[in-house]
Amino acid sequence: MRLLVIEDEKKVANFIKKGLEEEHYAVDNAYDGESGLYMAETNEYDLIVLDLMIPKIDGLEVLKRIRGNRNNVPILVLTAKDSVEDIVRGLDAGCDDYLTKPFEFLELLARVRALLRREKIDKEPILKIDDLTLSLVTHKVMRRGKEIELTGKEYALLEYFMRNPDKVLTRTMISEHVWDYHFDSMTNVVDVYVNYLRKKVDKGFEPKLIQTIRGVGYIMKKV
Amino acid sequence: MHFRSLRFKLTLWYVLILGILLISFSGFLYFTLSKSLYRDVDEKLRSLAELIASESASPSSKFGFGTFDQALETSLNLRPIGKFIQVLDQSGNIGRKSDNLRNVQLPISLNALKNATKGSITFETNRALGNTPLRIITFPVIEDDHVTKIVQIASSLEEVEDALNTLFLILIIAVPLALMIAILGGQFLAHKALKPVDNITQTARMITSQNLNQRIAPVKMKDEISRLIETFNEMISRLDQSFRQVKQFSSDASHELKTPLTILKGEVEVTLRKERSLQEYQQTLKSNLEEINRMSQIVDDLLLLSRADGGEVGLNKEDINLSEIFNEVVTQMEMLAASRKLRLFASNHHQDIHMFGDALRIRELFINLIENGIKYTEQGGTIRVTLSKEYEPLGRNSPGGTEGEKEEFAKIVVSDTGIGIAEEDQERIFNRFFRVDKARSREEGGSGLGLSICKWIIEAHQGEIRVESELGKGSSFIVKLPLKLPPKLPLFHQ
Repeated sequence: MRLLVIEDEKKVANFIKKGLEEEHYAVDNAYDGESGLYMAETNEYDLIVLDLMIPKIDGLEVLKRIRGNRNNVPILVLTAKDSVEDIVRGLDAGCDDYLTKPFEFLELLARVRALLRREKIDKEPILKIDDLTLSLVTHKVMRRGKEIELTGKEYALLEYFMRNPDKVLTRTMISEHVWDYHFDSMTNVVDVYVNYLRKKVDKGFEPKLIQTIRGVGYIMKKV
Repeated sequence: MHFRSLRFKLTLWYVLILGILLISFSGFLYFTLSKSLYRDVDEKLRSLAELIASESASPSSKFGFGTFDQALETSLNLRPIGKFIQVLDQSGNIGRKSDNLRNVQLPISLNALKNATKGSITFETNRALGNTPLRIITFPVIEDDHVTKIVQIASSLEEVEDALNTLFLILIIAVPLALMIAILGGQFLAHKALKPVDNITQTARMITSQNLNQRIAPVKMKDEISRLIETFNEMISRLDQSFRQVKQFSSDASHELKTPLTILKGEVEVTLRKERSLQEYQQTLKSNLEEINRMSQIVDDLLLLSRADGGEVGLNKEDINLSEIFNEVVTQMEMLAASRKLRLFASNHHQDIHMFGDALRIRELFINLIENGIKYTEQGGTIRVTLSKEYEPLGRNSPGGTEGEKEEFAKIVVSDTGIGIAEEDQERIFNRFFRVDKARSREEGGSGLGLSICKWIIEAHQGEIRVESELGKGSSFIVKLPLKLPPKLPLFHQ
């Protein structure tokens, strides 16, 4: 899951990035409205965390412009503006959730999870394909009752596969959703990580869930 | 009706004044009218008496023939209707009398008789004949310097008294009636005039800090009430504005404090989520310390400003040498400028500029201004600081100055080649928490209150500050501080 954090206060942006990355999200930072809007339009994010009082383009304006472009990415507004009027204005401008500063980091994580879950029809915090399960809360991955230990990137990759079953995922799509802005797409890192993941998830199990589509990418098939 | 209400008081005074006027007018009318009526009666009696007296004294008169009435008619062509006439001899015995007296005779008082024998006229009012009061003239007829006869004429005063009685009756009814009408009318008028005041009171009562955008509805007429409403509305506008400022200020202040709090809380929470290396813990603590310092700076500055607003901060004013403080601060700032690869040029022509001020605050002022210049100027830039002494004709700022006297003041100019301030922001830079470049201010650890404090210090020393700036080219802050010394201190000599 790739997230964009638009927040001008560098220290706030940094700890949010750090905390989210430790939860296996890929996180990009934008420090003003202009670059935030540009990044939101040029990359495909799964969620945007947006501060309202940001330089160059105001947060509310960023929100309206993203929605104006028919972009339905979940947006969580994170701001010090805590009056009812501000909250109503933010929600009406098109944000999906509103959290006021200072905030509990645990709450931010729970809200991010809730917003990402909203896309799915069933709102279980557990993804399941065949006998493979992934808990979005505890990050525990199990196959046939056996716990599988994954690194952060492997976990993020698996989560992306499991959220998009039976869909061909290109290397670009994978890199955009699992890695952050600084990822160099010219390397074969995606292939390397998919192989790591296969070794842990599919080796010794049947059927093989992750399959290669030659020349295009990968697919995780629901059996 | 409340007895203390303006409406009651207005009506009371109005009725009281009208009452006094009406009563005195009525009294005057009654008095003058009765006087003139009685005088009229007396005049008529006298002229008739004179006529009869001269006729009866005239030797060629035919007055002595026939009855008295006939005699009057033939010789004087006169019919004494409503008048009773009798002629007496000088000792008071009845001679002739008019027919309408029949068998009675007009009374003559001793006093009147005595007067008549002396040759003078007497007027009397007598009620002896029936109920009708009579006015009687006793007129002596003088022939060859002797009183030969006495003419007495009486006229009924009934008509006069009737007229006066009617007038009295009219007045006694009309005056209270008029006063009653005046009370009602006065109440109505006062009510009508004061109704807008009631409206103002009601609206004003409804206006609280929550709905200061409300205004009292203006009236069409341009009168005292409309001026009152205008004044009220202006006052509400000013209140509204200052409430807004306070609200803005407290929201700004809470935002300023929330940012470091968010950082503290977030960093600690993220750090505590799992075991970290010693280095990571140290980094978090270091960052936390920075935020704590920032918060205490903001709190200190806020406290100072709010106490300054309340007039609680006493300045410790004494004779201070501005040049000395200036040189010290410049030396201190040169190090900061050098560490940022900036050039700092200072020029101070006078080595001895004295003023009456608070040394600590003036030092703070210099530091704040120069530090600002350093913070907002890129590497390789230049800061110029000058201190000079100037004169200006004594004017608006110092009342009591004599003509031609000049005011001495210190001029401090701090110019930089930094980012500059957009024209629309130049007015706002002295506002609390206003920042031209928010991110840079945060990085530099500014509280957003530095220039507000500068402004306060300058104003507490009766000085002024202004800014000249061009975006991208740099800014100049120009400070003027009056150099007034208390008289006992020795004046500066060049």
